[in-house]
Amino acid sequence: MRKHFINRLLPVTSIFAVTLAGLSLNAVSVDLAGLKGTVLSGTKPESSAVVWLEAPNGPQSAPPMKTIHQRNLQFTPHVLAVRTGTTVDFPNEDRVFHNVFSFKDGKAFDLGIYPVGATKKVTFSVPGVTRLFCNIHPGMAAYIVAVDSPYFSASNNDGTFAINGVPSGTYKYHAWKPGRDVLSGSVTVQAGATLELVWK
Amino acid sequence: MKTFTTAVVFLASLATALSAHAQSVTTELDVTAGYSSDARTWAGSTQLRSFGEIKPRLRFNVEGTWAKRSVDGTDAFDAAFPYGGRVQLNEAYVEYSAQRGAFMANVRGGQYRSPFGIYSRADHGYNGFLRAPLIRSEYYWSVNNTMLERGVDLSVGTSHLSAEVSIGTPGDNNHEFKRESGLGSVVRVQAYFKNVIVGASHINTKPYAPNPWERPGRMDFSSFDVRWSLPGVQFRGEWIFGQEADDESKTRGGYLDTIVHTRFMGPVTAVFRTEKLDWHYLETNENGITTPEDWRGLRQTVGTRVRIPGGLTAQFNVLRHSELVAYKKPTAFDIGLTYSIRDNRSKRSKGDQ
Repeated sequence: MRKHFINRLLPVTSIFAVTLAGLSLNAVSVDLAGLKGTVLSGTKPESSAVVWLEAPNGPQSAPPMKTIHQRNLQFTPHVLAVRTGTTVDFPNEDRVFHNVFSFKDGKAFDLGIYPVGATKKVTFSVPGVTRLFCNIHPGMAAYIVAVDSPYFSASNNDGTFAINGVPSGTYKYHAWKPGRDVLSGSVTVQAGATLELVWK
Repeated sequence: MKTFTTAVVFLASLATALSAHAQSVTTELDVTAGYSSDARTWAGSTQLRSFGEIKPRLRFNVEGTWAKRSVDGTDAFDAAFPYGGRVQLNEAYVEYSAQRGAFMANVRGGQYRSPFGIYSRADHGYNGFLRAPLIRSEYYWSVNNTMLERGVDLSVGTSHLSAEVSIGTPGDNNHEFKRESGLGSVVRVQAYFKNVIVGASHINTKPYAPNPWERPGRMDFSSFDVRWSLPGVQFRGEWIFGQEADDESKTRGGYLDTIVHTRFMGPVTAVFRTEKLDWHYLETNENGITTPEDWRGLRQTVGTRVRIPGGLTAQFNVLRHSELVAYKKPTAFDIGLTYSIRDNRSKRSKGDQ
């Protein structure tokens, strides 16, 4: 009797399961688009800009590790964009000591001096711009821009940027570059959407 | 003038040739003007350097300097360069680095600073002190911080424990304090644990020429150095001892620096140094009687470095020193202003993003 009941129930549960799976698929297969664009300072391409879209409730995922190298007495890259919660490695790849610190704004830290081959880490858990310096080499400087959004990009040498995997919709955007005010506005992200940002 | 032109042309040619093939090139220019109240000394200096990567792991570094003081016989502004009043090739080398896991090896060839103790240009020139430590000054017959080697330098190890050996001949470009030519060696061992870096060094080389009394023998010095970092504070020091020629003259001395740069100090770094120099030698008079002579120099320094926007750095030191090392006054001040510009050229894309 019990076996008969289960056999009669199986087709019903199978249909129910398939229906649930379909609903689930519909829930995640949102219309993902991208935003491409160019950042200019006047008429020149801007290679040190960060562009991000406001999405405080964006999908959560473990942020990847990022690295700022200390090589040839400079930080590389000069501007690094990360999502809040990201841990950044600071390996010393020079033959001399370095002392990475940030006191000015954003995340405050002082890693002390450490030799070639050593790496220290800092987690950027709060949105903001952190200015990096080396207290031994005054010519070294860089920026880490932490944003509370999974949708961000740093511009390339030709001033172009691309933010991929963004659900279609209208967003507030922000753009930052060293020494200038943040540009903000609204943009509709859909297939083929583009955005040109200009600091005058 | 001919030397000046030759040096500039050589540096420019070398930098241009390397830049054309390099993946990454940085060019820096530092110009410093300073004044010391001790001997009413004016000083001016310029350093032009170019460094970068020719290929991955293959780097170069070329540096030329010019520096001049209005008064000889003072150690003011002995930060990291000789004051000969002419253009000089300071460092010019290439180096190759290899790494497997945590193990690293680096070989350097050319002309480079003697890898003895705390020897980096940046350590001596830009962190708030306008004079080299007495024991690293060119005036006091020890291992001064303008010493250069022409040879090969090999370093191996990990970030926690490494050893470095340099074999070469003196490449000093200091017009007053040059060593005799001849083979010499420098060995350095360094350990790093948590926030502490300790090192031990030894140099055995030809003595200064001419040395004070034309004594034969070898220059032979050892040193221990330590650096300890805490958030916002760094302590560092060296103790150096040995002989500048034969064993009838001994030099020993050391210094302890405290460098404070906390969050609330903004662009200001405060520096403190206490140091001592002992020079002991045997002097034989005209009657053939040999007597020991002892000189001692003491100095305390309080100073500051301020980073000013626009590439400027101001440094101000107040010194209290004993008669042996003072030019005239037991208390003096040094002030310096440095303008720095830098240009980076890289063929790399932003692949690190």
